[in-house]
Amino acid sequence: MFKLNPHAGSECTMKVSLVWSSPKPERTIAVAMRRCYSTKVIEDIEVELEQKGAEYWRFLLTKCLQDKSLDVLEHFTMSLLVEGAGEAEISRLICRFPHIHATRLNETDWLFTVNSRTLVELWRDREGRLFAESVVAELDRKKVSPLFNELVFGDRMHAR
Amino acid sequence: MRVKLLYSTDLEALKKVLAEKGIPFNPDVLMDHVVYMFGIEDCSRVTTHQLVRHRVASYDQESQRFSAATKEGVVTPPSIQTNEAANKVYDEALKTVYSAYEKIVAAGVPKEDARYILPTAIKTKLVMTINARSLMHIVWQRTALQAQWEIRELVTSMYDLVHEATPELWVNVIER
Repeated sequence: MFKLNPHAGSECTMKVSLVWSSPKPERTIAVAMRRCYSTKVIEDIEVELEQKGAEYWRFLLTKCLQDKSLDVLEHFTMSLLVEGAGEAEISRLICRFPHIHATRLNETDWLFTVNSRTLVELWRDREGRLFAESVVAELDRKKVSPLFNELVFGDRMHAR
Repeated sequence: MRVKLLYSTDLEALKKVLAEKGIPFNPDVLMDHVVYMFGIEDCSRVTTHQLVRHRVASYDQESQRFSAATKEGVVTPPSIQTNEAANKVYDEALKTVYSAYEKIVAAGVPKEDARYILPTAIKTKLVMTINARSLMHIVWQRTALQAQWEIRELVTSMYDLVHEATPELWVNVIER
């Protein structure tokens, strides 16, 4: 639970729960990276990434962050249930971040779908940071993308 | 051409959320939330130029800066294939272009600059991630009879894959 946009004096406290995310997010990002630089067919890229394992995914992810090639992060997507949020708070977020897809479920609950590039942008933004922290905490709690979280958010320098 | 669905959102997980909130399932509610990632191979750059005009999607494509081009990796449109005279001219032109490309690379020019001479018929590979609503728009536009044959073939393959993966979401597509 956290307060969204406390700087604006909002009293809204919301809860973020992960509904679904791309399978093997770090490998998915690595597939997109390798697609740019490999002539192999996609199945061979997938085999290569499985064989080389998580250390290679770390290498590729580190390189994409260093090169600021964040487009590959767009292939790691997630859907979230956001509960206890008012329309004003959500409107502020989606106006600022048009790549967030939000559907209102009832007075205070929303279904969000967002990709991890937008998550990084939320993290870097004063207004979006608390929401991003809540999403990252949920990803951590569900052990969805430990390598991604460590590289992108663990060392705060990468995302700032 | 080859199209593979690399992943799609678990529709059941989203439907469960709707059910828990007492909302009846309606495909339109979830169109923005169901995402598909495709691997696309051996279509021409003519077609990927058309594809990336649909901007609400994420694309990563094989780079010609680093990959060497070969004459074998080109698409020949059926209208040329079936026209003996046109096919001869097409083939000769490709031979000339690829010969020039190889000579330019052999002369020490980086591939990223030598590629300026390459034709848009060249085959390419890419991955693409898109949500159902944006894909439905593409299906609507690019499976129409006015669309070009190659992108129609590509988008028809994509549609077949998503229809198989998430049939409940695609009940409202008007067949062309």
